[in-house]
Amino acid sequence: MTAHFVDMLDDLRRRSLRMAHLVEEIVREACEAVFQADVEKAMRVVQRDNDVDAEEVLVESEVIRLLALYQPVGSDLRLLCTVLKVNSDLERIADCAVNIAERARHVDARTVAGLYEVLRQMGPIVEHMLHSAVKAYGSQVVDDAQQVLLEEDAVDALYGQIIRRLVPEASISPAKIAAFLDVLSVAKNLERIADHATNIAEDVVYVCTGEIVRHRAR
Amino acid sequence: MVNVAEDQPTAPVEAPRMPLLRMPIPRPPSKLPMPSSECVIRAEDLSIYYGSFPAVREVTLEISSHRVTAIIGPSGCGKSTLLRSMNRMNDFVASAAARGKLLYRGRDIYAPGFDAVDLRRRIGMVFQKPNPFPKSIYKNVAWGAAINGYQGNLEELVERALQQAALWDEVKDKLDKSAYELSGGQQQRLCIARAIALQPDVLLMDEPCSALDPIATARIEDLIDKLKTQYTVVLVTHNMQQAARVSDRTAFMYMGELVEVNDTTVMFTRPGNKRTQDYITGRFG
Repeated sequence: MTAHFVDMLDDLRRRSLRMAHLVEEIVREACEAVFQADVEKAMRVVQRDNDVDAEEVLVESEVIRLLALYQPVGSDLRLLCTVLKVNSDLERIADCAVNIAERARHVDARTVAGLYEVLRQMGPIVEHMLHSAVKAYGSQVVDDAQQVLLEEDAVDALYGQIIRRLVPEASISPAKIAAFLDVLSVAKNLERIADHATNIAEDVVYVCTGEIVRHRAR
Repeated sequence: MVNVAEDQPTAPVEAPRMPLLRMPIPRPPSKLPMPSSECVIRAEDLSIYYGSFPAVREVTLEISSHRVTAIIGPSGCGKSTLLRSMNRMNDFVASAAARGKLLYRGRDIYAPGFDAVDLRRRIGMVFQKPNPFPKSIYKNVAWGAAINGYQGNLEELVERALQQAALWDEVKDKLDKSAYELSGGQQQRLCIARAIALQPDVLLMDEPCSALDPIATARIEDLIDKLKTQYTVVLVTHNMQQAARVSDRTAFMYMGELVEVNDTTVMFTRPGNKRTQDYITGRFG
């Protein structure tokens, strides 16, 4: 493979990593928008999602171009496949962030106080998972990726807790159903972001080792 | 008119099962079922010298039957020398000498008294550049069998060999024409037919597509995939994509040494050796 290809691959990797950092910021802003009821921040999340969408298309086009023109193998092939998959995960994470931000003006901490506290615990864990996944994507170190995989259970447990508490509370207070659905929506999107962060970490393991570790019992 | 049947409560229809789930994905490149495999050729600590220069150094490698084994590596790494040692073509190089063992079906082909001519009948070879004889298409295929005292029907043998080489339909009406009238790709398939006509056990191919255009190359690659159901194929190629497409096993050589040998899929997605990784990704070579 030519030095030119190696340079282009490196540029693409950096570009994808910049997109990952942008998505990380968007998620942080979306959480702040919800937990601080900051509508301006929520609007900024929606605007920045357009940048992510545009970047996703450009990165995907470049991956396809490099695959078609250079037919890479070995670590280059694994990296390109990973960039393509991570690209899709990042775009969906940004969509989840938009869904969370859209609840900013609706989530009512006083009406659903108990559930809101659980939600507040989920936010930082999911942000940390995404941060660790992006860090592992940048460093391409398996141990960094493994850390992300360990945190997924905590998010799932909190999400399960919200579901278990929400059902009886909603049946007792049907007037608050809209508030409960807002909490559920934010929780669901946080849980989805955690899933995508896990995907990214699993892809980092693949790019480093060539092993596909998805769907394995941990 | 009321359709009574529509008003009747119907039993819930069970969703059809998904029979494709968890079915294994067919593995390219082979589209045909592969027969079981056994070791046909085994090199044990084999070194090949040209004078005092070791072109191949202490290589241990197994070639399995009904599989395509590709040997890749940069120019001068010893891959063609290793290939040519498998049917003792190196005997024709005055300064060449072998050390170690090269077993064909358990017998050391470099042992004193081993019949090299008979060996070459069993282990045929196709070269980089098509080299048909200056004879008719028919005679190119029939000649080897005829001089080896073939007792069967020569015409049937020629037709069968040309069909196996995927050339019959293109030449069946001009068998008496000179082989030189064929295109480069057709000439190469004729050379494969010529080798097949001797009903060999193994086919050695030394860069068989390097002089061919992409269409002719694709036809030879398809042919290699079919040939392995009946023959064992060892392929030397500079073209890594070709090795990836057509072979089941790939061996990587560097400076006379066998660096790594593995299933082709593994070699081209997650090679175990850093030098293999660097070579297949074009970091050197």
